[in-house]
Amino acid sequence: MTDHPLAPRVAAYLATKIPGASDLTVEAMERISGGASRETYRFRARWREAGESRERRMILRRDPPASLIETERRVEFAAYRAFHGSAVPVPEMLWLEEDPAHLDHPFFIAEELAGLQASPQMLLAGGYDAALPKVAERKWTILGEIAKADPKALGLTEVIPAPPLDGCWRRELDYWEAVFDRDQAEPLPIARAAIRWLRAHPPPPAQKLSVVHGDYRTGNFLYDEAGEIHGVLDWEMAHLGDPLEDLAWGFNPIWEFGRGLAGGLLPRERAIAIWEQASGLKADPQALHWWILFNCVKGQAIWVGSAGAFIKGGNKAPIMIYPAWWLLNAQDRAILKVMGKL
Amino acid sequence: MTPEVPAVLAELAAVVARNAAPGVPEPERASELGLTAMLLGLAAEVWDGAAARLVEENRALRALLSDTGADEDLRLSKLKAGNDRLRAALIEAQIAAEQAGDQARQEAIWAELRASTERRKISVSLV
Repeated sequence: MTDHPLAPRVAAYLATKIPGASDLTVEAMERISGGASRETYRFRARWREAGESRERRMILRRDPPASLIETERRVEFAAYRAFHGSAVPVPEMLWLEEDPAHLDHPFFIAEELAGLQASPQMLLAGGYDAALPKVAERKWTILGEIAKADPKALGLTEVIPAPPLDGCWRRELDYWEAVFDRDQAEPLPIARAAIRWLRAHPPPPAQKLSVVHGDYRTGNFLYDEAGEIHGVLDWEMAHLGDPLEDLAWGFNPIWEFGRGLAGGLLPRERAIAIWEQASGLKADPQALHWWILFNCVKGQAIWVGSAGAFIKGGNKAPIMIYPAWWLLNAQDRAILKVMGKL
Repeated sequence: MTPEVPAVLAELAAVVARNAAPGVPEPERASELGLTAMLLGLAAEVWDGAAARLVEENRALRALLSDTGADEDLRLSKLKAGNDRLRAALIEAQIAAEQAGDQARQEAIWAELRASTERRKISVSLV
């Protein structure tokens, strides 16, 4: 295999971060497919330390030239670190580097949780059917644990702005509507109608301030053949807000993967019951409906942003085109469905 | 589809050329070409019906908006520009119907929006 051109530069960086390391090399470096918001690579670092050979598998997450999701890597890094070692399984974060001098763009390095799968297509293709009930139970239990956690006790209120309980919805809706205003390449009558409805029918204040993962769906966690979840990934949209937002993101009809089940895994009512049990919170049906429609709008903003990054020339990678072509119309149909128009 | 098919095809040509050269790491070559293949498949699927879909939709929108124009130039770029203009006008019409409480008008607009997603539906649509 050809050595990856980034490997020697990563090795040079690691040599400055591991005290006492010598003869440090980076091997078997390869880019992991997907990853439209960050470029993700796996690799193996080898070095000598205190007269012994050491080895560790690691993940590099580097900012691309223009991203599907514009986020602060510092927030993502902090969210991972906050939950490491808790009931919410996450990989260990090792180093955050915001100086572009090392690898041209900011990045962070984490441990690799090897031998696991994240692909929803693989999970739902039939080979894992016996494990699906366990995956589902763990998926919404872990989400309940995220909702239950105290952001202040985790130290996250020092890193992430905390909105007032009655202002969570407005801050999120303002943010994602601004993405449409900035990135849309064509009129979007369905999304705009949904935004008007959301503003005219605001939800009640959040029952508590929670950590919101922001992209908690089938496909963003690492699972094994027995259905255990070993790592929740892709915290790049993490923020503080209404815990119902996170529950509702997974109920965007897009994430049913055409199976008519929440997350492609089980009936929505059962998912809600698991989440309520784990979080100790209640999912008010009307408030949840608001957040589901909001998340359809948020999803559409992300796909529009993906198309916008391609059209404006910031990122011409095929991964920026596929979400737009595959999902823009499907997301419009999801909005219609949630609004009772389809 | 957005981004427009010609711009995407031009970019995919560059992707294929880049991956035909030696020295590209194999996993990255596989990932880029696999994704390129899927995109080419989608482009092939929508290509034949693209002009017909835009003409049909522009006619429906003109009827709904009492617009007396017509599609004189049948190039896709011109049809799409007309479609964008009409869909922008539809947003304004829907806001006006909401503010007036005109339920019949709102229902007619929702019917057209529903139809618009049927016209754009692709074989791998998730919804």
